[in-house]
Amino acid sequence: MVDVGRGMDGAVPVSGWTLDEWFVVALARTVVDREVVFHGFASPCAQVAMHVARRTHAPDSMLIEGATYAVNPVPAFVPPTGNDLALHRDATYRMRFEEFFDAACRGDVDRMFLSGGQIDVHGNTNVTAIGGMPRPKIKLGGGGGGANISATIGALTLWTTRHRSGRTLVPTLDFLTDLGHVTPAGTREQLGHTGGGPEWLVTELGVFDFVDGRARLVSRFPDVDVEEIERATGFDLVVAPELSVLAEPTEAELAQVRAIDPLGVRRSEFSDQELARRFGSPV
Amino acid sequence: MSRFTLGTDKRSTLADAAARVKDGDTVALGGGLCARLPMALVRELVRQGRTDLRVVGSAHSIDVDLLIAAGLVSVCEESYVGFEQDLGLAPAFRRGAESGAVEVRESSCVVMLTQLRAAEMGVPFLPVRGLLGGDLSSLHPEWGTVTCPFTGQELAAVPALAPDVALLHASLGDAAGNLHIDQPYVLDERFAHASRVVVATVDAIVSTEEVVAAGVTVPAHVVAAVVEAPYGAHPSSCYPGYAYDRPHLAEYVAAANAGPDAVTAYLERYVLPGEDAYRALVAPERLSAWSTSDEAWMELFR
Repeated sequence: MVDVGRGMDGAVPVSGWTLDEWFVVALARTVVDREVVFHGFASPCAQVAMHVARRTHAPDSMLIEGATYAVNPVPAFVPPTGNDLALHRDATYRMRFEEFFDAACRGDVDRMFLSGGQIDVHGNTNVTAIGGMPRPKIKLGGGGGGANISATIGALTLWTTRHRSGRTLVPTLDFLTDLGHVTPAGTREQLGHTGGGPEWLVTELGVFDFVDGRARLVSRFPDVDVEEIERATGFDLVVAPELSVLAEPTEAELAQVRAIDPLGVRRSEFSDQELARRFGSPV
Repeated sequence: MSRFTLGTDKRSTLADAAARVKDGDTVALGGGLCARLPMALVRELVRQGRTDLRVVGSAHSIDVDLLIAAGLVSVCEESYVGFEQDLGLAPAFRRGAESGAVEVRESSCVVMLTQLRAAEMGVPFLPVRGLLGGDLSSLHPEWGTVTCPFTGQELAAVPALAPDVALLHASLGDAAGNLHIDQPYVLDERFAHASRVVVATVDAIVSTEEVVAAGVTVPAHVVAAVVEAPYGAHPSSCYPGYAYDRPHLAEYVAAANAGPDAVTAYLERYVLPGEDAYRALVAPERLSAWSTSDEAWMELFR
């Protein structure tokens, strides 16, 4: 198993960096070389992270761009909309919609990045509605293809940038859109689902792995403590005995984050409070 | 007798093409997210005051939201409606769901694909992986499960879906209705083959030779009507012609968020006067600047 809190080979950064940059690097480190990796739409942090991974520690991963289904593109830049030519420029190949979803359903996609308005301890996610259906308090956008392919893709990297709100990691979902390890109807095995389920949950406060189908805090950002994380977590927080501080991003990783996303679209996922977080020595 | 539509000249006015959609129809919208949406047809449906539509598709944005804002939709069966990280939740969609004015039967991209494939294949249903254990099926009493007769595996099963009308937008087409689309095609090919009637707008009608040279994505024999509608996908993108019109989308989202009076003002300004007036107002020519340099392209998103 990969330790996402572990430092990557490379020079220690000489300049400062921001939380959004570090968060993207933490996501990137969940990608294993020679994996087939996919992200959904409306996911700028995951988009940038997949390119960072391919340009640093996972050069032979196969990157499938969400919404365009382009294979290993060289984006001109990351635009704020997912179905844009800027994202699939110079791709060696563009899958058809059905070609991608067939691959994902039959088990030929190794990892998907997935987020949610609510996430429970088993890694089930709600991207449909706060307050439940059919009469929601807040209707969220919806899950794309997640209700199917969360069941079949090899491993999931979940993420949220809203952990601190206290409303994201919840004891019970208002609606279960995408499948984690255990649902009220049973385990993956009982339901016949072929994918491995959530492997990581990366938040703006720390990183969780999954043990026996339950999220466990394994590392934290250096400017937050466990008590703060516990207060923000709606389910019972289990902390790994070897809880670590996330390893700092390398100069190479930071350079790639900035190069891939010159418009800073990744920052649209964070509140102003999180964007103000600075690390390392000031620039 | 075959339902293929024969004939070499299926050119139509936008009004006649949109009139193929009847009140209460199930309507498939082509394109995806904020790319290649059939917006000229959407605007014409609003002008014609169609009602009680059931819209079906994958991940969409202003097409569905505008139809809801203008009161045309009673059932929304898309896998996502929103403006992504850029402009956020879809205001009219959200209001419709929260008030109960629109019945949201949220679907999944894979379910939609599988239902269209069943219709294309002429079978009543198909099995599909996933879904079991999740709550989407609570919105779909018509979904079920099936036991494989060979392995005994239990799988989710979804019925065939043949939309009454598919609305597509392509960059190029000929008079017979052969269409060239640049990737990503999203579900357009599946909609074209599964739907009872296919109506298309194209940025330009050109010779058959030109469409064949570019590559025929959707063949004429499944297309009932083709309309030349320059910038017919605006304010969504239709590359290589034009990029996403971010300021216009932001203006729409602000209006839809502000409530019914602002929506009415938007419709009166941009939709009701017609496509010629629309193009004159939104000046979409600037959106072709994407191809001049990466810097110019990025500038369109700042």
